[in-house]
Amino acid sequence: MTGYALEVRDLRVTLSGKRILDGVSFRCPEATVTAVMGPSGTGKSTMLRAINRLLDLNPEAIVEGDILIHGRSVWEMEPYEVRRRATMVFQDPNPFPHMSIYDNVAVGPRLHGLARSKRELDEIVRWALERAMLWDEVKDRLGDPPSKLSGGQRQRLSLARALAVKPEILLLDEPTANVDPVNAVKIEEAIRSLVREEGITVVFVTHMPSQAVRVSDYLVFLYDGHVVEQGPSREVALNPSNPLTEKFFRGEL
Amino acid sequence: MNGGPLSRLLRRVRGVRSRDDERFLLLHLPASLTLLLVILAMLGVFIAYSIPVISREGFHVFTDTTWRAVEGDPQAEWYGLLPAIYGSVYTSLIAVLIAAPLSVSLAVALEELTPRRLRGSLSLLTDLMAATPTIIYGLWGLAFLAPHMYPILSWLSSHASWIPLFSKHPSSGYTIATAGVLLAVMSTPFAAAVIREAYSMIPLSIREAAYSLGATRLEVIRILLGMVKPSIVAGLALAFARAVGETVAVSLVIGNSMTITPSVTDSGVTVSSLIASQFGNAGFYHYMTSALFAGGLVIFAIGLAVNVAAVWYMKKWEEKVMGVAP
Ligand SMILES: Nc1ncnc2c1ncn2[C@@H]1O[C@H](COP(=O)(O)OP(=O)(O)OP(=O)(O)O)[C@@H](O)[C@H]1O
Ligand SMILES: [Mg+2]
Repeated sequence: MTGYALEVRDLRVTLSGKRILDGVSFRCPEATVTAVMGPSGTGKSTMLRAINRLLDLNPEAIVEGDILIHGRSVWEMEPYEVRRRATMVFQDPNPFPHMSIYDNVAVGPRLHGLARSKRELDEIVRWALERAMLWDEVKDRLGDPPSKLSGGQRQRLSLARALAVKPEILLLDEPTANVDPVNAVKIEEAIRSLVREEGITVVFVTHMPSQAVRVSDYLVFLYDGHVVEQGPSREVALNPSNPLTEKFFRGEL
Repeated sequence: MNGGPLSRLLRRVRGVRSRDDERFLLLHLPASLTLLLVILAMLGVFIAYSIPVISREGFHVFTDTTWRAVEGDPQAEWYGLLPAIYGSVYTSLIAVLIAAPLSVSLAVALEELTPRRLRGSLSLLTDLMAATPTIIYGLWGLAFLAPHMYPILSWLSSHASWIPLFSKHPSSGYTIATAGVLLAVMSTPFAAAVIREAYSMIPLSIREAAYSLGATRLEVIRILLGMVKPSIVAGLALAFARAVGETVAVSLVIGNSMTITPSVTDSGVTVSSLIASQFGNAGFYHYMTSALFAGGLVIFAIGLAVNVAAVWYMKKWEEKVMGVAP
């Protein structure tokens, strides 16, 4: 064991012949939040998709380097095992439109046989919705379709769905980008308590430096496919060693 | 101009918001109305031609099993359409039951398993299958399918005759089962096209969501198929309509006997095949033409009912999923 929940080593990604990530390395200690920040188009989403092997689905993608989950290389695992251990929440809320709120959350546990009875399944669903800070708003209408929820609620539903498979790592791709400030605060709160109380390790992608500093223990500043700077959030925020980082914090990138 | 009664009516139609929408509708109104009138006129003709037999036999023309054609003695003639109606529904149901897994697999195979390079030519092939004249299918069924089904059906009826489906020992390959299989083959490309269209429209983000929960490929397909359920229903309704309406191909392989039997290894008849085989000499009898038109009316009604049911289902589904109040 290395003591790290996630290690990314010299990750290089090429999409359709274009080099998107060029040697990205960082490590996430267990039960911490690592914010990956960077301007639009630097490859943040691509990096997350490489980590949980979603890029396998893209025949135009070439991924090199190593990614370790609790010391084990993702290349030694089945892709679906990787994705279950490191689930992802996407930039846009994407609950399954044809499933009820309940079924959206239950679909993962059902796939993986996490519940042996209806009661256990109910408990997992409730736990996930509570963890996503959505339970109180939907507990009386679990049979409703997600279309009856607001955008922010839909995003929290996506979070609950990802949590319900009991992942070790949560990959969040700008989870508050398309959500109003109230919902954004709720999501940030939910993330922090998940880390504190459930020991989940989070990679939080954002293009907003203020949010990155607010939510994270460690910062990784990604620029143009490279890691420009990384370290404990406070240190990087108070004392950026690279002028690019400074510019990014000032909102000039 | 808010005043005109027509524009007020148009505004009430769901989704009409702007003047452009209104103009668009106005432009298409004549064409739609013409189409509606043509269909109504057709229906009128069928009803008019059915009147003689209905006024003589009453509702019995639809519920009776006797088919008695007597030349020169109208009083002795008697036509019961029930075996044909039964055969139409039975063969079409068999066809849909077989076409359901076939068309879903075909759609998924084309979208999920076929390399992009091959997709174009393979989908062209299925389109070609849909466009092939039905007489070609009929001849294929006559010359190839029926003789090849015969040993299978014989075997089933000798080893599983306790199942009512196989109770009758077939005397040839021209059976209800053969017609059902042939109809399934003919209607699968249509259903598959509808399903595939919907499947290919599923957003990448939904697909990624399914994968990122740790679903295997098969599990992802199952989740995504749940999303296109209304299109599967629509595709199968289309397949059913096509099967009920199919004429030549069925009459070549079904054996054309006026019987009602649960056994798919027996021969049978459908309304369409009855019309095809009898219309030529119906003029020799007093009521037969009218009886055949009454049969046409029945198919029309069945087709309509299936489509209305499918549309109703899709509407319900949309209300449920989109959260639109009923
Ligand atoms: N499927 C693809 N094929 C080719 N290039 C791609 C593909 N997907 C993304 N890219 C390119 O990769 C680069 C990085 O994209 P990515 O979505 O990872 O950026 P990002 O940092 O998440 O940006 P944003 O903050 O806008 O979400 C972009 O230049 C984009 O054009
Ligand atoms: Mg992105």
